[in-house]
Amino acid sequence: MRILVVGGGTGGTIVANNLARRLATEIRAGKARITMLSASDQHMYQPGLLYVAFGQMMPDELYRDEASLLETSIKFHVDPVEQFELDQNRVRTKSGKTYDYDILVIATGSRTMSRKIPGLEEGAETFYTEKGAVKMFKNLRNFQGGKVAIVVGVPHKCPIAPVEATFALHDYFKGRGIRDKVEIKYHYPINRIHSIENVAIWAKPEFDRMGIKYETLFNVDEVDVENKVVKSMEGSEYKYDMLVSIPEHHGMEVIEKNELGQNGWIPTDRYQLTMEGHDNVYVVGDTTNLPVSKTGSAAHFEAEVIAENISSIVKIGTPVTDYDGKVYCFIEAGRDKATYAMFNYLNPPDLRAANKPMHWFKMSYNKMYWTSVRGLL
Amino acid sequence: MTNQAETSPSSATVNDNDLERIAELASLVAAAQDALTDDMVNRLAAAFSEGIMLLDRLTRNEGLMSLLQVLDTPEIQQLLIGLTDGLTQMSREFATTPPSKGGLVGMMRLASEPGTQEGLKSLSLLGKYMSESIRELHRRGTPLPEPAAWRDRQGAFTCRRC
Repeated sequence: MRILVVGGGTGGTIVANNLARRLATEIRAGKARITMLSASDQHMYQPGLLYVAFGQMMPDELYRDEASLLETSIKFHVDPVEQFELDQNRVRTKSGKTYDYDILVIATGSRTMSRKIPGLEEGAETFYTEKGAVKMFKNLRNFQGGKVAIVVGVPHKCPIAPVEATFALHDYFKGRGIRDKVEIKYHYPINRIHSIENVAIWAKPEFDRMGIKYETLFNVDEVDVENKVVKSMEGSEYKYDMLVSIPEHHGMEVIEKNELGQNGWIPTDRYQLTMEGHDNVYVVGDTTNLPVSKTGSAAHFEAEVIAENISSIVKIGTPVTDYDGKVYCFIEAGRDKATYAMFNYLNPPDLRAANKPMHWFKMSYNKMYWTSVRGLL
Repeated sequence: MTNQAETSPSSATVNDNDLERIAELASLVAAAQDALTDDMVNRLAAAFSEGIMLLDRLTRNEGLMSLLQVLDTPEIQQLLIGLTDGLTQMSREFATTPPSKGGLVGMMRLASEPGTQEGLKSLSLLGKYMSESIRELHRRGTPLPEPAAWRDRQGAFTCRRC
Protein backbone atom coordinates (compact mmCIF):
# COMPACT_ATOMS: atom_id res chain seq x y z
CA MET A 1 0.00 0.00 0.00
CA ARG A 2 1.59 3.29 -1.13
CA ILE A 3 0.48 6.20 1.05
CA LEU A 4 1.40 9.66 -0.15
CA VAL A 5 1.09 12.70 2.13
CA VAL A 6 1.23 16.08 0.38
CA GLY A 7 2.09 18.85 2.82
CA GLY A 8 4.32 18.89 5.89
CA GLY A 9 2.31 21.13 8.23
CA THR A 10 0.53 20.08 11.40
CA GLY A 11 -2.08 17.84 9.72
CA GLY A 12 0.26 16.13 7.24
CA THR A 13 2.97 15.49 9.83
CA ILE A 14 0.57 14.01 12.39
CA VAL A 15 -1.07 11.77 9.77
CA ALA A 16 2.33 10.51 8.56
CA ASN A 17 3.78 9.91 12.05
CA ASN A 18 0.61 8.33 13.41
CA LEU A 19 0.48 6.00 10.39
CA ALA A 20 4.17 5.11 10.70
CA ARG A 21 3.55 4.04 14.30
CA ARG A 22 0.40 2.08 13.48
CA LEU A 23 1.88 0.43 10.38
CA ALA A 24 5.41 -0.22 11.69
CA THR A 25 5.15 -3.98 11.08
CA GLU A 26 3.71 -3.57 7.58
CA ILE A 27 6.36 -1.00 6.64
CA ARG A 28 9.15 -3.28 7.85
CA ALA A 29 7.70 -6.16 5.87
CA GLY A 30 7.50 -3.99 2.74
CA LYS A 31 3.66 -4.14 2.66
CA ALA A 32 3.18 -0.39 3.26
CA ARG A 33 5.18 2.68 2.35
CA ILE A 34 4.68 6.27 3.48
CA THR A 35 6.05 9.16 1.45
CA MET A 36 5.73 12.84 2.29
CA LEU A 37 6.16 15.69 -0.20
CA SER A 38 6.53 19.16 1.25
CA ALA A 39 7.25 22.63 -0.07
CA SER A 40 9.73 23.31 2.74
CA ASP A 41 12.34 21.51 4.83
CA GLN A 42 11.17 23.56 7.84
CA HIS A 43 8.12 23.12 10.06
CA MET A 44 6.68 26.24 11.66
CA TYR A 45 4.58 26.43 14.82
CA GLN A 46 2.19 29.01 13.38
CA PRO A 47 0.22 29.91 16.56
CA GLY A 48 3.50 31.24 17.94
CA LEU A 49 3.38 34.16 15.51
CA LEU A 50 0.87 35.98 17.74
CA TYR A 51 3.43 35.84 20.57
CA VAL A 52 6.17 37.11 18.23
CA ALA A 53 3.96 40.10 17.37
CA PHE A 54 3.85 41.01 21.07
CA GLY A 55 7.49 40.24 21.90
CA GLN A 56 6.67 37.12 23.92
CA MET A 57 8.46 34.66 21.62
CA MET A 58 11.41 34.88 19.24
CA PRO A 59 10.95 33.68 15.63
CA ASP A 60 13.62 30.97 15.91
CA GLU A 61 11.55 29.26 18.63
CA LEU A 62 8.88 28.51 16.03
CA TYR A 63 10.94 26.31 13.68
CA ARG A 64 12.17 22.72 13.54
CA ASP A 65 13.55 20.67 10.66
CA GLU A 66 10.61 18.72 9.28
CA ALA A 67 12.81 15.63 8.86
CA SER A 68 13.67 15.68 12.56
CA LEU A 69 9.95 15.48 13.41
CA LEU A 70 9.20 12.50 11.17
CA GLU A 71 9.47 8.82 11.97
CA THR A 72 12.55 7.43 10.21
CA SER A 73 10.44 5.01 8.16
CA ILE A 74 8.77 7.92 6.31
CA LYS A 75 10.35 8.90 3.02
CA PHE A 76 10.55 12.68 3.04
CA HIS A 77 11.20 14.84 -0.03
CA VAL A 78 11.22 18.61 -0.33
CA ASP A 79 9.50 18.75 -3.69
CA PRO A 80 6.15 20.56 -3.86
CA VAL A 81 3.32 19.05 -5.90
CA GLU A 82 2.25 21.01 -8.97
CA GLN A 83 -0.24 18.66 -10.59
CA PHE A 84 -2.77 16.31 -9.04
CA GLU A 85 -3.77 13.55 -11.50
CA LEU A 86 -6.41 11.98 -9.28
CA ASP A 87 -7.85 9.73 -12.01
CA GLN A 88 -4.43 8.12 -12.48
CA ASN A 89 -3.65 8.04 -8.72
CA ARG A 90 -0.56 10.14 -9.39
CA VAL A 91 0.95 13.55 -8.65
CA ARG A 92 3.64 15.51 -10.46
CA THR A 93 6.10 17.66 -8.58
CA LYS A 94 8.08 20.83 -9.24
CA SER A 95 11.24 18.78 -9.92
CA GLY A 96 9.38 16.90 -12.69
CA LYS A 97 9.07 13.61 -10.80
CA THR A 98 5.84 11.65 -10.58
CA TYR A 99 4.64 9.82 -7.48
CA ASP A 100 2.02 7.07 -7.68
CA TYR A 101 -0.15 6.25 -4.71
CA ASP A 102 -2.90 3.98 -3.48
CA ILE A 103 -4.01 6.48 -0.83
CA LEU A 104 -3.41 10.22 -1.01
CA VAL A 105 -3.59 12.68 1.90
CA ILE A 106 -3.83 16.36 0.93
CA ALA A 107 -2.62 18.66 3.70
CA THR A 108 -1.48 21.74 1.83
CA GLY A 109 -2.86 24.38 4.24
CA SER A 110 -3.96 27.92 3.52
CA ARG A 111 -2.60 31.39 2.66
CA THR A 112 -3.47 34.99 3.38
CA MET A 113 -5.22 37.06 0.71
CA SER A 114 -4.49 40.63 1.88
CA ARG A 115 -3.86 41.68 -1.71
CA LYS A 116 -7.56 41.22 -2.55
CA ILE A 117 -8.32 44.49 -0.74
CA PRO A 118 -6.70 47.67 -2.09
CA GLY A 119 -4.25 49.16 0.40
CA LEU A 120 -4.57 46.39 3.01
CA GLU A 121 -1.20 44.74 2.34
CA GLU A 122 0.70 48.05 2.46
CA GLY A 123 -1.32 49.77 5.16
CA ALA A 124 -1.93 47.11 7.79
CA GLU A 125 0.09 45.14 10.29
CA THR A 126 -0.52 41.41 10.26
CA PHE A 127 1.02 38.58 12.28
CA TYR A 128 0.35 35.70 9.89
CA THR A 129 3.95 35.64 8.62
CA GLU A 130 7.25 35.79 10.50
CA LYS A 131 8.22 39.01 8.73
CA GLY A 132 4.82 40.57 9.45
CA ALA A 133 4.85 39.57 13.13
CA VAL A 134 8.34 41.04 13.72
CA LYS A 135 7.39 44.25 11.89
CA MET A 136 4.18 44.52 13.93
CA PHE A 137 6.11 44.19 17.19
CA LYS A 138 8.66 46.84 16.18
CA ASN A 139 5.85 49.24 15.26
CA LEU A 140 4.04 48.49 18.53
CA ARG A 141 7.25 49.28 20.43
CA ASN A 142 7.46 52.65 18.71
CA PHE A 143 3.76 53.45 19.10
CA GLN A 144 3.26 56.29 21.56
CA GLY A 145 -0.52 56.67 21.39
CA GLY A 146 -3.44 57.18 19.02
CA LYS A 147 -6.11 55.08 17.34
CA VAL A 148 -5.61 51.37 16.72
CA ALA A 149 -8.08 49.60 14.45
CA ILE A 150 -8.47 45.81 14.18
CA VAL A 151 -10.13 44.62 10.97
CA VAL A 152 -11.10 41.06 10.06
CA GLY A 153 -11.60 39.20 6.78
CA VAL A 154 -13.34 35.81 6.58
CA PRO A 155 -12.64 32.97 6.46
CA HIS A 156 -9.34 33.15 8.29
CA LYS A 157 -6.96 30.81 10.06
CA CYS A 158 -7.61 30.56 13.82
CA PRO A 159 -11.05 32.08 14.40
CA ILE A 160 -10.11 33.21 17.90
CA ALA A 161 -7.15 35.30 16.65
CA PRO A 162 -9.02 38.66 16.31
CA VAL A 163 -10.24 38.51 19.92
CA GLU A 164 -6.86 37.31 21.22
CA ALA A 165 -5.00 40.06 19.36
CA THR A 166 -7.40 42.69 20.73
CA PHE A 167 -6.94 41.52 24.34
CA ALA A 168 -3.18 41.38 23.79
CA LEU A 169 -3.14 44.96 22.44
CA HIS A 170 -5.03 46.17 25.52
CA ASP A 171 -2.61 44.43 27.92
CA TYR A 172 0.46 45.47 25.92
CA PHE A 173 -0.40 49.18 26.03
CA LYS A 174 -1.46 48.86 29.67
CA GLY A 175 1.89 47.26 30.48
CA ARG A 176 3.72 50.17 28.84
CA GLY A 177 1.59 52.65 30.79
CA ILE A 178 0.06 54.27 27.69
CA ARG A 179 -3.35 52.56 27.58
CA ASP A 180 -5.07 55.89 28.37
CA LYS A 181 -3.46 57.39 25.26
CA VAL A 182 -4.70 54.60 22.96
CA GLU A 183 -8.15 54.05 21.49
CA ILE A 184 -8.64 50.42 20.43
CA LYS A 185 -11.48 49.74 18.00
CA TYR A 186 -12.43 46.24 16.89
CA HIS A 187 -14.27 45.74 13.57
CA TYR A 188 -15.99 42.46 12.66
CA PRO A 189 -17.73 41.53 9.40
CA ILE A 190 -20.94 39.93 10.76
CA ASN A 191 -23.58 41.35 13.08
CA ARG A 192 -21.97 40.21 16.35
CA ILE A 193 -18.40 40.45 17.59
CA HIS A 194 -17.49 36.83 16.80
CA SER A 195 -18.72 34.15 14.43
CA ILE A 196 -18.97 31.59 17.29
CA GLU A 197 -21.95 32.84 19.29
CA ASN A 198 -20.70 31.79 22.73
CA VAL A 199 -17.32 33.43 22.09
CA ALA A 200 -19.18 36.64 21.18
CA ILE A 201 -21.27 36.39 24.37
CA TRP A 202 -18.11 35.87 26.45
CA ALA A 203 -15.96 38.53 24.76
CA LYS A 204 -18.46 41.43 24.70
CA PRO A 205 -18.44 42.19 28.46
CA GLU A 206 -14.64 41.74 28.43
CA PHE A 207 -14.36 44.38 25.68
CA ASP A 208 -16.67 46.69 27.69
CA ARG A 209 -14.59 46.16 30.84
CA MET A 210 -11.36 46.95 28.98
CA GLY A 211 -12.81 50.00 27.23
CA ILE A 212 -12.42 48.47 23.77
CA LYS A 213 -14.78 49.95 21.18
CA TYR A 214 -16.34 47.71 18.55
CA GLU A 215 -18.27 47.94 15.32
CA THR A 216 -19.98 44.96 13.68
CA LEU A 217 -21.04 44.54 10.03
CA PHE A 218 -17.75 46.08 8.93
CA ASN A 219 -16.43 44.35 5.80
CA VAL A 220 -13.24 46.06 4.66
CA ASP A 221 -13.59 47.53 1.18
CA GLU A 222 -10.34 49.48 0.91
CA VAL A 223 -7.58 51.09 2.91
CA ASP A 224 -6.54 54.67 2.11
CA VAL A 225 -2.91 54.24 3.14
CA GLU A 226 -1.94 57.90 2.62
CA ASN A 227 -4.72 59.33 4.81
CA LYS A 228 -4.79 56.30 7.13
CA VAL A 229 -8.49 55.59 6.69
CA VAL A 230 -10.09 52.14 6.49
CA LYS A 231 -13.42 52.01 4.65
CA SER A 232 -16.12 49.35 4.82
CA MET A 233 -18.46 47.98 2.14
CA GLU A 234 -21.29 49.06 4.43
CA GLY A 235 -20.23 52.71 4.01
CA SER A 236 -18.58 53.50 7.34
CA GLU A 237 -14.93 54.48 7.78
CA TYR A 238 -12.38 54.84 10.56
CA LYS A 239 -9.28 57.01 10.73
CA TYR A 240 -6.46 55.09 12.39
CA ASP A 241 -2.87 55.53 13.49
CA MET A 242 -2.19 51.79 13.42
CA LEU A 243 -4.19 49.21 11.51
CA VAL A 244 -4.04 45.52 12.49
CA SER A 245 -5.50 43.10 9.98
CA ILE A 246 -6.61 39.49 10.30
CA PRO A 247 -6.79 38.88 6.56
CA GLU A 248 -9.08 36.62 4.59
CA HIS A 249 -7.54 33.23 3.79
CA HIS A 250 -7.78 30.94 0.78
CA GLY A 251 -6.54 27.40 0.32
CA MET A 252 -3.20 27.02 -1.47
CA GLU A 253 -2.79 28.13 -5.07
CA VAL A 254 -1.98 24.59 -6.26
CA ILE A 255 -5.45 23.44 -5.15
CA GLU A 256 -7.12 26.29 -7.07
CA LYS A 257 -4.97 25.73 -10.18
CA ASN A 258 -5.82 22.03 -10.22
CA GLU A 259 -9.51 22.93 -9.78
CA LEU A 260 -9.86 20.71 -6.71
CA GLY A 261 -12.00 23.24 -4.86
CA GLN A 262 -13.30 26.80 -4.95
CA ASN A 263 -10.88 29.28 -3.32
CA GLY A 264 -8.56 26.37 -2.60
CA TRP A 265 -10.94 24.62 -0.17
CA ILE A 266 -11.52 20.99 -1.15
CA PRO A 267 -15.08 19.62 -0.79
CA THR A 268 -14.67 17.04 1.98
CA ASP A 269 -16.93 14.43 3.57
CA ARG A 270 -17.47 15.77 7.10
CA TYR A 271 -17.24 12.38 8.81
CA GLN A 272 -14.86 10.31 6.66
CA LEU A 273 -12.67 13.29 5.65
CA THR A 274 -12.37 11.94 2.11
CA MET A 275 -12.51 14.23 -0.89
CA GLU A 276 -15.98 14.16 -2.41
CA GLY A 277 -15.96 11.71 -5.34
CA HIS A 278 -12.56 10.21 -4.42
CA ASP A 279 -12.63 7.58 -1.66
CA ASN A 280 -8.86 7.10 -1.70
CA VAL A 281 -8.12 10.82 -1.26
CA TYR A 282 -8.18 12.24 2.28
CA VAL A 283 -8.16 15.96 3.12
CA VAL A 284 -6.87 17.32 6.42
CA GLY A 285 -6.61 20.69 8.18
CA ASP A 286 -7.15 24.07 6.59
CA THR A 287 -7.50 22.50 3.11
CA THR A 288 -10.98 21.09 3.82
CA ASN A 289 -14.18 23.06 3.23
CA LEU A 290 -15.63 21.76 6.51
CA PRO A 291 -17.60 24.07 8.82
CA VAL A 292 -14.94 23.81 11.55
CA SER A 293 -12.19 26.20 12.58
CA LYS A 294 -9.07 26.41 10.48
CA THR A 295 -6.73 25.63 13.36
CA GLY A 296 -3.92 23.25 14.23
CA SER A 297 -6.27 21.67 16.74
CA ALA A 298 -8.87 20.77 14.10
CA ALA A 299 -6.05 19.46 11.87
CA HIS A 300 -4.78 17.37 14.79
CA PHE A 301 -8.11 15.70 15.57
CA GLU A 302 -8.83 15.16 11.86
CA ALA A 303 -5.35 13.68 11.35
CA GLU A 304 -5.89 11.10 14.08
CA VAL A 305 -9.14 9.95 12.48
CA ILE A 306 -7.53 9.77 9.02
CA ALA A 307 -4.52 7.82 10.29
CA GLU A 308 -6.72 5.36 12.18
CA ASN A 309 -8.87 4.80 9.10
CA ILE A 310 -5.99 4.40 6.63
CA SER A 311 -4.31 2.01 9.05
CA SER A 312 -7.49 -0.07 9.39
CA ILE A 313 -7.91 -0.09 5.61
CA VAL A 314 -4.40 -1.55 5.33
CA LYS A 315 -5.03 -4.09 8.09
CA ILE A 316 -8.68 -5.16 7.62
CA GLY A 317 -9.78 -3.43 4.43
CA THR A 318 -12.25 -0.90 5.89
CA PRO A 319 -12.28 2.40 7.80
CA VAL A 320 -13.36 2.17 11.44
CA THR A 321 -14.07 5.67 12.76
CA ASP A 322 -15.59 9.07 11.98
CA TYR A 323 -14.63 12.68 12.67
CA ASP A 324 -17.13 14.39 14.99
CA GLY A 325 -15.95 17.94 14.26
CA LYS A 326 -13.92 18.22 17.48
CA VAL A 327 -11.91 21.42 17.96
CA TYR A 328 -10.11 22.58 21.11
CA CYS A 329 -8.94 26.19 21.05
CA PHE A 330 -6.95 27.95 23.72
CA ILE A 331 -8.01 31.58 24.04
CA GLU A 332 -5.42 33.98 25.40
CA ALA A 333 -7.37 36.73 27.19
CA GLY A 334 -4.44 39.11 27.54
CA ARG A 335 -0.82 38.55 28.55
CA ASP A 336 -1.41 36.43 31.65
CA LYS A 337 -4.88 34.87 31.47
CA ALA A 338 -6.50 32.35 29.17
CA THR A 339 -9.53 30.14 28.73
CA TYR A 340 -10.50 27.56 26.13
CA ALA A 341 -13.28 26.60 23.77
CA MET A 342 -14.06 23.00 22.93
CA PHE A 343 -16.75 22.17 20.44
CA ASN A 344 -17.82 19.75 17.71
CA TYR A 345 -20.48 19.46 15.00
CA LEU A 346 -23.24 19.05 17.59
CA ASN A 347 -22.13 20.94 20.70
CA PRO A 348 -21.19 24.62 20.78
CA PRO A 349 -18.36 25.78 23.09
CA ASP A 350 -19.09 26.64 26.71
CA LEU A 351 -16.49 29.21 27.76
CA ARG A 352 -15.26 29.51 31.34
CA ALA A 353 -13.73 32.57 32.99
CA ALA A 354 -10.11 33.16 31.97
CA ASN A 355 -7.40 32.38 34.54
CA LYS A 356 -3.63 32.16 34.93
CA PRO A 357 -3.23 28.33 35.04
CA MET A 358 -4.96 28.10 31.63
CA HIS A 359 -2.48 30.68 30.31
CA TRP A 360 0.36 28.47 31.57
CA PHE A 361 -1.30 25.45 30.01
CA LYS A 362 -1.20 27.32 26.70
CA MET A 363 2.42 28.43 27.25
CA SER A 364 3.30 24.81 28.00
CA TYR A 365 1.50 23.62 24.90
CA ASN A 366 3.57 26.07 22.84
CA LYS A 367 6.60 24.01 23.88
CA MET A 368 4.90 20.62 23.79
CA TYR A 369 3.58 21.15 20.26
CA TRP A 370 6.61 19.24 18.97
CA THR A 371 5.58 16.13 20.89
CA SER A 372 2.13 16.58 19.41
CA VAL A 373 3.28 16.56 15.77
CA ARG A 374 5.54 13.60 16.48
CA GLY A 375 2.33 11.74 17.31
CA LEU A 376 2.83 11.47 21.08
CA LEU A 377 0.22 13.87 22.51
CA MET B 1 -30.25 0.53 68.13
CA THR B 2 -28.48 3.57 66.76
CA ASN B 3 -25.56 5.00 68.61
CA GLN B 4 -26.14 8.76 68.83
CA ALA B 5 -22.40 9.38 68.99
CA GLU B 6 -21.82 7.87 65.54
CA THR B 7 -21.04 10.37 62.80
CA SER B 8 -23.24 10.60 59.74
CA PRO B 9 -21.68 9.51 56.39
CA SER B 10 -21.45 13.11 55.15
CA SER B 11 -19.65 14.38 58.23
CA ALA B 12 -17.35 11.36 58.07
CA THR B 13 -16.39 12.28 54.50
CA VAL B 14 -15.56 15.93 55.20
CA ASN B 15 -14.47 17.07 58.62
CA ASP B 16 -12.64 20.12 59.91
CA ASN B 17 -9.23 18.51 59.44
CA ASP B 18 -9.96 17.74 55.80
CA LEU B 19 -11.11 21.29 55.15
CA GLU B 20 -7.98 22.60 56.84
CA ARG B 21 -5.83 20.39 54.60
CA ILE B 22 -7.68 21.54 51.49
CA ALA B 23 -7.11 25.14 52.57
CA GLU B 24 -3.40 24.37 53.10
CA LEU B 25 -3.20 22.76 49.69
CA ALA B 26 -4.95 25.76 48.12
CA SER B 27 -2.48 28.14 49.76
CA LEU B 28 0.39 25.98 48.48
CA VAL B 29 -1.04 26.14 44.95
CA ALA B 30 -1.51 29.92 45.29
CA ALA B 31 2.08 30.30 46.51
CA ALA B 32 3.40 28.24 43.58
CA GLN B 33 1.23 30.29 41.21
CA ASP B 34 2.69 33.53 42.59
CA ALA B 35 6.26 32.22 42.45
CA LEU B 36 6.11 30.86 38.89
CA THR B 37 6.72 33.05 35.86
CA ASP B 38 5.92 32.50 32.18
CA ASP B 39 9.62 31.88 31.57
CA MET B 40 9.78 29.15 34.21
CA VAL B 41 6.68 27.48 32.78
CA ASN B 42 8.27 27.69 29.31
CA ARG B 43 11.51 26.07 30.48
CA LEU B 44 9.73 23.31 32.40
CA ALA B 45 7.44 22.56 29.47
CA ALA B 46 10.37 22.55 27.03
CA ALA B 47 12.32 20.14 29.25
CA PHE B 48 9.29 17.88 29.61
CA SER B 49 8.64 18.01 25.87
CA GLU B 50 12.25 17.13 24.93
CA GLY B 51 12.39 14.49 27.67
CA ILE B 52 9.26 12.72 26.55
CA MET B 53 10.43 12.75 22.92
CA LEU B 54 13.79 11.28 23.94
CA LEU B 55 12.05 8.63 26.02
CA ASP B 56 9.80 7.79 23.09
CA ARG B 57 12.80 7.44 20.78
CA LEU B 58 14.70 5.28 23.25
CA THR B 59 11.81 2.95 24.07
CA ARG B 60 11.01 2.44 20.39
CA ASN B 61 14.63 1.86 19.35
CA GLU B 62 14.78 -1.89 18.67
CA GLY B 63 18.56 -2.00 18.77
CA LEU B 64 18.71 -0.31 22.16
CA MET B 65 15.93 -2.47 23.57
CA SER B 66 17.72 -5.60 22.36
CA LEU B 67 20.96 -4.34 23.95
CA LEU B 68 19.16 -3.69 27.27
CA GLN B 69 17.65 -7.19 27.23
CA VAL B 70 21.05 -8.76 26.59
CA LEU B 71 22.68 -6.60 29.26
CA ASP B 72 20.19 -8.01 31.74
CA THR B 73 21.52 -11.60 31.42
CA PRO B 74 24.09 -12.87 34.00
CA GLU B 75 26.37 -14.03 31.18
CA ILE B 76 26.70 -10.53 29.71
CA GLN B 77 27.01 -8.96 33.15
CA GLN B 78 30.01 -11.27 33.77
CA LEU B 79 31.38 -10.23 30.40
CA LEU B 80 31.00 -6.55 31.35
CA ILE B 81 32.78 -7.20 34.65
CA GLY B 82 35.53 -8.92 32.66
CA LEU B 83 35.68 -5.96 30.29
CA THR B 84 36.01 -3.41 33.12
CA ASP B 85 38.65 -5.59 34.84
CA GLY B 86 40.50 -5.81 31.54
CA LEU B 87 40.37 -2.03 31.09
CA THR B 88 41.72 -1.49 34.61
CA GLN B 89 44.58 -3.99 34.12
CA MET B 90 45.39 -2.52 30.73
CA SER B 91 45.60 0.96 32.18
CA ARG B 92 47.87 -0.25 35.02
CA GLU B 93 50.14 -2.14 32.66
CA PHE B 94 50.50 0.89 30.37
CA ALA B 95 51.47 2.94 33.41
CA THR B 96 54.05 0.47 34.73
CA THR B 97 55.76 -0.93 31.63
CA PRO B 98 58.09 0.92 29.21
CA PRO B 99 56.74 1.75 25.70
CA SER B 100 57.21 -0.88 22.98
CA LYS B 101 60.40 -0.59 20.92
CA GLY B 102 58.61 -1.70 17.75
CA GLY B 103 60.11 -3.99 15.11
CA LEU B 104 59.28 -7.46 13.83
CA VAL B 105 60.90 -9.29 16.73
CA GLY B 106 58.70 -7.46 19.22
CA MET B 107 55.66 -8.17 17.05
CA MET B 108 56.53 -11.90 16.93
CA ARG B 109 57.04 -11.99 20.70
CA LEU B 110 53.65 -10.32 21.28
CA ALA B 111 51.89 -12.62 18.82
CA SER B 112 53.31 -15.70 20.52
CA GLU B 113 51.84 -14.74 23.90
CA PRO B 114 48.69 -16.77 24.83
CA GLY B 115 46.89 -13.62 26.04
CA THR B 116 47.32 -11.92 22.64
CA GLN B 117 46.01 -15.01 20.88
CA GLU B 118 42.98 -15.12 23.24
CA GLY B 119 42.33 -11.43 22.55
CA LEU B 120 42.48 -11.89 18.77
CA LYS B 121 40.22 -14.94 19.07
CA SER B 122 37.62 -12.88 21.03
CA LEU B 123 37.63 -10.12 18.39
CA SER B 124 37.36 -12.59 15.49
CA LEU B 125 34.45 -14.40 17.20
CA LEU B 126 32.69 -11.06 17.76
CA GLY B 127 33.22 -10.12 14.10
CA LYS B 128 32.00 -13.53 12.91
CA TYR B 129 28.74 -13.55 14.89
CA MET B 130 28.04 -9.87 14.32
CA SER B 131 28.36 -10.19 10.54
CA GLU B 132 26.14 -13.31 10.58
CA SER B 133 23.49 -11.39 12.57
CA ILE B 134 23.61 -8.35 10.26
CA ARG B 135 23.23 -10.61 7.20
CA GLU B 136 20.27 -12.34 8.81
CA LEU B 137 18.61 -8.98 9.64
CA HIS B 138 18.98 -7.83 6.02
CA ARG B 139 17.61 -11.14 4.78
CA ARG B 140 14.48 -10.67 6.94
CA GLY B 141 14.01 -7.05 5.81
CA THR B 142 16.02 -4.22 7.23
CA PRO B 143 14.33 -1.79 9.63
CA LEU B 144 16.73 0.93 8.49
CA PRO B 145 15.60 3.54 5.91
CA GLU B 146 16.58 2.95 2.33
CA PRO B 147 19.80 4.72 1.32
CA ALA B 148 18.04 7.12 -1.10
CA ALA B 149 15.49 8.22 1.51
CA TRP B 150 18.26 8.59 4.05
CA ARG B 151 20.23 10.79 1.66
CA ASP B 152 17.22 13.11 1.26
CA ARG B 153 16.78 13.17 5.01
CA GLN B 154 20.40 14.18 5.51
CA GLY B 155 19.89 17.04 3.05
CA ALA B 156 16.77 18.16 4.85
CA PHE B 157 18.65 18.37 8.14
CA THR B 158 20.51 21.44 6.91
CA CYS B 159 18.82 24.11 8.95
CA ARG B 160 18.73 27.54 7.35
CA ARG B 161 18.55 29.15 10.79
CA CYS B 162 21.33 27.20 12.48
